[in-house]
Amino acid sequence: MTQELRINNNKFIDQTTRLSFKFNGEKLYGYKGDTLASALLANNIHLVGRSFKYHRPRGIMTCGSEEPNAIVQIGNDPSLTDPNVRATEIELYEGLEAFSQNCWPNVKFDIGGINNLLSPLLPAGFYYKTFMWPASFWEKYEFFIRHSAGLGKSPTKPDPDIYDHKHYHCDVLVVGGGISGIMAAKLSAENNKDTLLLDDKNTLGGTTIYQNNDCFKIDDNHTNYWLEKEIKNIKNIKNLTIKTRTSLAAYHGYNYLLAKENITDHLSPDERKDKIRQRLWKIRAKKVIIATGSIERPLIFNNNDRPGIMLSSAIKKFIDFYGVKTGREISLFTNNDSVYETAISLKKSGVNIISIIDIRDKSSSKIVEEVEKHNIKIYWNHTIVNTEGYRRISFIEIMKLSDDGSGVIGKKIKLKTDCLGISGGWTPMVHLFTQSGGKLKFRSDDNVFLPDKNKTPSDQISIGSCNGDFDIKDIILNSNKDVKTFLGIENSSFDNLKVESSKEKMKRNIWLLPSDKPIGKTKPFLDFQNDSTAKDVKLALREGFKSIEHVKRYTTTGMGTDQGKLSNMHALGIIAETTGTNMGELGTTTFRPPYTPLTFGAIVGRNVGEFFDHTRKTAMHNWHVQNKAKFENVGQWKRAWYYPKNGETMFEAVQRESKAARESVGILDASTLGKIDIQGTDASEFLNRVYTNAWSKLAIGKCRYGLMLNEDGMVYDDGVTTRLGENHYIMTTTTGGAANVLTKLEDYLQTEWPELDVYLTTVTDHFSTISICGPNSKKILSKVIPDLDLSDEKFPHMSFKNSIINRIKCRVMRISFTGEHSYEINIQSNYAKNVWELCMDAGKNYNITPYGTETMHLLRAEKGFIITGQDTDGTMTPSDLQMDWIIGKKKFDFIGKRSLYRSDTIRDDRKQLVGLLTDDPNEILEEGAQIVEKLNQKPVEMLGHVTSSYFSPNLNKSIALAVMKSGKKLKGKKFFVPMENKNINVTVTDTVFFDKENKRLNA
Amino acid sequence: MLNFETTVQDSKSYGDLTLSEMEPILKINLRSNKREFSTKIGKLLSIIPPIEANTSSSNEDYSILWLSPDEWLIYSSNKISYEKQNLLEENLFKNISNINQGSVTNVTDHWVMINLKGSKIYDLLSKSSPYDFKNFKMKKGSVAQTLLNHTDVILHNLDDNNLNLFVRRSFSEDLWLWINDSARFL
Repeated sequence: MTQELRINNNKFIDQTTRLSFKFNGEKLYGYKGDTLASALLANNIHLVGRSFKYHRPRGIMTCGSEEPNAIVQIGNDPSLTDPNVRATEIELYEGLEAFSQNCWPNVKFDIGGINNLLSPLLPAGFYYKTFMWPASFWEKYEFFIRHSAGLGKSPTKPDPDIYDHKHYHCDVLVVGGGISGIMAAKLSAENNKDTLLLDDKNTLGGTTIYQNNDCFKIDDNHTNYWLEKEIKNIKNIKNLTIKTRTSLAAYHGYNYLLAKENITDHLSPDERKDKIRQRLWKIRAKKVIIATGSIERPLIFNNNDRPGIMLSSAIKKFIDFYGVKTGREISLFTNNDSVYETAISLKKSGVNIISIIDIRDKSSSKIVEEVEKHNIKIYWNHTIVNTEGYRRISFIEIMKLSDDGSGVIGKKIKLKTDCLGISGGWTPMVHLFTQSGGKLKFRSDDNVFLPDKNKTPSDQISIGSCNGDFDIKDIILNSNKDVKTFLGIENSSFDNLKVESSKEKMKRNIWLLPSDKPIGKTKPFLDFQNDSTAKDVKLALREGFKSIEHVKRYTTTGMGTDQGKLSNMHALGIIAETTGTNMGELGTTTFRPPYTPLTFGAIVGRNVGEFFDHTRKTAMHNWHVQNKAKFENVGQWKRAWYYPKNGETMFEAVQRESKAARESVGILDASTLGKIDIQGTDASEFLNRVYTNAWSKLAIGKCRYGLMLNEDGMVYDDGVTTRLGENHYIMTTTTGGAANVLTKLEDYLQTEWPELDVYLTTVTDHFSTISICGPNSKKILSKVIPDLDLSDEKFPHMSFKNSIINRIKCRVMRISFTGEHSYEINIQSNYAKNVWELCMDAGKNYNITPYGTETMHLLRAEKGFIITGQDTDGTMTPSDLQMDWIIGKKKFDFIGKRSLYRSDTIRDDRKQLVGLLTDDPNEILEEGAQIVEKLNQKPVEMLGHVTSSYFSPNLNKSIALAVMKSGKKLKGKKFFVPMENKNINVTVTDTVFFDKENKRLNA
Repeated sequence: MLNFETTVQDSKSYGDLTLSEMEPILKINLRSNKREFSTKIGKLLSIIPPIEANTSSSNEDYSILWLSPDEWLIYSSNKISYEKQNLLEENLFKNISNINQGSVTNVTDHWVMINLKGSKIYDLLSKSSPYDFKNFKMKKGSVAQTLLNHTDVILHNLDDNNLNLFVRRSFSEDLWLWINDSARFL
């Protein structure tokens, strides 16, 4: 470490704890409390990366989240590396390894630097103009463009870190722990409001915490001393929660905000193990106080991007907070008083100040007078016209400004310097305010956009420098006053503070500082990350782009990872100046969340891997797993799909399962179907209104199939409902539709039919359903429930019985979705697995075969039974499905009835459900395949598509269901199903392929 | 008697945080907007269903949780045999549903009840529940219906840092895994 660049008089860095780290492979040392940026500067390293477009050498420019240049790759494992980390924000830890980005073979010698020589040929819009022709070449260009695009390298392996979420509610959220934020948090918490104070740094206090200047005092103490005491005090207030290392990422409507807390990013890899890396806070605050401060603006002049050129405020923080001198011979360049504070800090630390170049004629403020006492040379009314030094600034050239500031006059003066601090004024951080929906107003005195109090969403205020108060006296007085009003507080401990400051009296702003060369020969950078210059903006304007949003996209100004925090105001200023527009009328670009980049990990939290999505499991799930079932996702349920045996493919397993169910007995876990318990004196009337068919005459103990329509007459859901008692039914719904059906029915009861005495309760999870189907199903059931009379007379198809299995009550329905003689046992879920096992035991001698959803689909397709959502798609009426029989034409009303008689729904040429048989019985159609009549027609008319398709082992041929225009009239006609390599000949048939007479139901 | 098999069948501790499945517990859903309903329930169970939103009434044997203006959940305070569950359900059904005073639906196996105890239970819940627990945790007997890791849950505040959580059976294994995973990082 270069010890001469360290000073030992500050308390923010623990100089007793030395940390080793590597930068571009070189082992270096820093101290606990350093950022990577401060440690690099202490090692006399300014050059940290290359710019995006021209590959120009770039150095550390700021000390915060606005950093455009010092973005590095962290970690030496390419599979787990972290790109685009700002060196100014990452805290140093033992073993940190960082690499420069966007350079090859290294940052000092970068082949891409050739772009800088070619820069006259690469103006704004170069890509848009060059790669437009010939159009067919785009894919070739794209290959190279994609290789050179982007900053940093993405890791190739899944992120191994753990991330977390936290929901938080508070009365008042204070964003920003600078002086105004500290005051607001104290006022709020002391007045019994649950208060949350967030700051993105690890130390509270903003810039004031290291402001130890005689010109700025509070109650006769230096401002840092006064603030330290306040911070110590607020840490003891009970209802104040302080989160440091937590940056506000997004401010949504109604005071819902997201913040990212860095928990272990500052720890060494060993200390991080098994700990949460970052936590995303989801904050709902009754009131929000924004105290996000402001950031210093750069100045725009020729070659203003060399390593060693930094914001003056950053130089001050590095010396006062981190104890690091950023150079040995520093010059300062300004249009305001801020650099004079930096000058005093540097002087106190014994740094040689070559000169101060000030574009103003003079300033008579207290701080300037203080600097003048130190005999520092100040060049008033001068500007820098050029800088020199490839990898580090070495010289500046200055000239006197003309009276109107548009040009330079006199003799050029060349000054040797190894670091240049620049200050172009201050920009309030209004990003969060605008994200929340607030509108800005423009203050022309100092060219700043500020929150418009009249257009501020309710329950929030902005205070401090983000509200345009830059003087410490104004900050304290206005923050105190505004917070008191906002929170309804009468008196505060800040009411009678005595504040001394140095009021800035003289301002001058020139957005693009002149050079002695024509603009075409200069490089005045606006956006340091994306390499857009002032002349790019002017070119865009000449080419007709007027809106700031268009100029932004054409020149890429403000589109880097820093989101143009440093560049946007200058771009606006230059556009306004060039076009003769008022900046306030021009407006700003849109500030979108996140304010600073968020990791995907923080966004996702723990919802990765096994927690990516819910899985719902039936009571028999473990049995299915033990019996090697393959599962399919149905809604959030895991449903047994098929049970392969001895290496069977799905096709083979399904063929075996289907045959077994038709020839002997199959067993299915049907627990996932929605079940709604319906009670009340108007239950029958309710069902009449919900379903298309009639329900009043359904006898107790009987079951009936129903179709439920939407208001538009389209099939919405279907299922069997059973009458358990006079005023008691149990409805089943589709698996995926269960929740929506219940919500819809409850909605109808509460809003449309409040007169009905009906109560709905979901019992989907309470009951598990075991379906036994096949010619031997009766034999199985008689073994499991010996006391139940299963004769067709006592227990006919479409009826139900209450019964008991080993002292546990159950409901048995004789209903069928396969066309076979079937029973469904509904039993409390906690006993269901045992009943399933009893059934399997009872069926041993009958080759009882568990089957999954795929076989269920095949069996029902053989019978032409629809599956809502597969054979319907929200555009099918019952009539389209050839199910006119289910519409109760004499019924007064039901949901969707009126829509069934619209001209569109009675059209003959609607798509209607049909059966399809392939001429080759072994040819299986693909679901979704289109059906056409003429192969050579262009464009070919698509008459419909296949909705369900299987090879039926029971019919020994392929079968399919499809929807086709005028399908009802097409029986017997031949069509084609064109596929990629062949055309399949098909014939339209009836939708029922198997047991048309329904003889097997009672077999 | 058939084998009784719940989803979790476990209890875990993380520091002073304990998580345990409490089954078999009787759970019955009640719905009614009839005037006499409250009196009937009072006579049958010696508790009046609460009318204030998000509250509950309890006695030694049962708690009744307010779920909506016409819906309540009764659950037994202790583990209870299947036969006793049946008797109570039948008695309620006979005296409420059969005489058209509302609906009585057994939801014993619809919900799984998990007890959470410990000083950090609200830190745990706040990891994935958007609910503001400020008032809930201050008032014994409070009821909340919210989401935990995107799953519907009912919460019943029994005492300081002691609550019962009801989750649908099909989601319970998934949620139990999530709760245990999150409890590691408190």
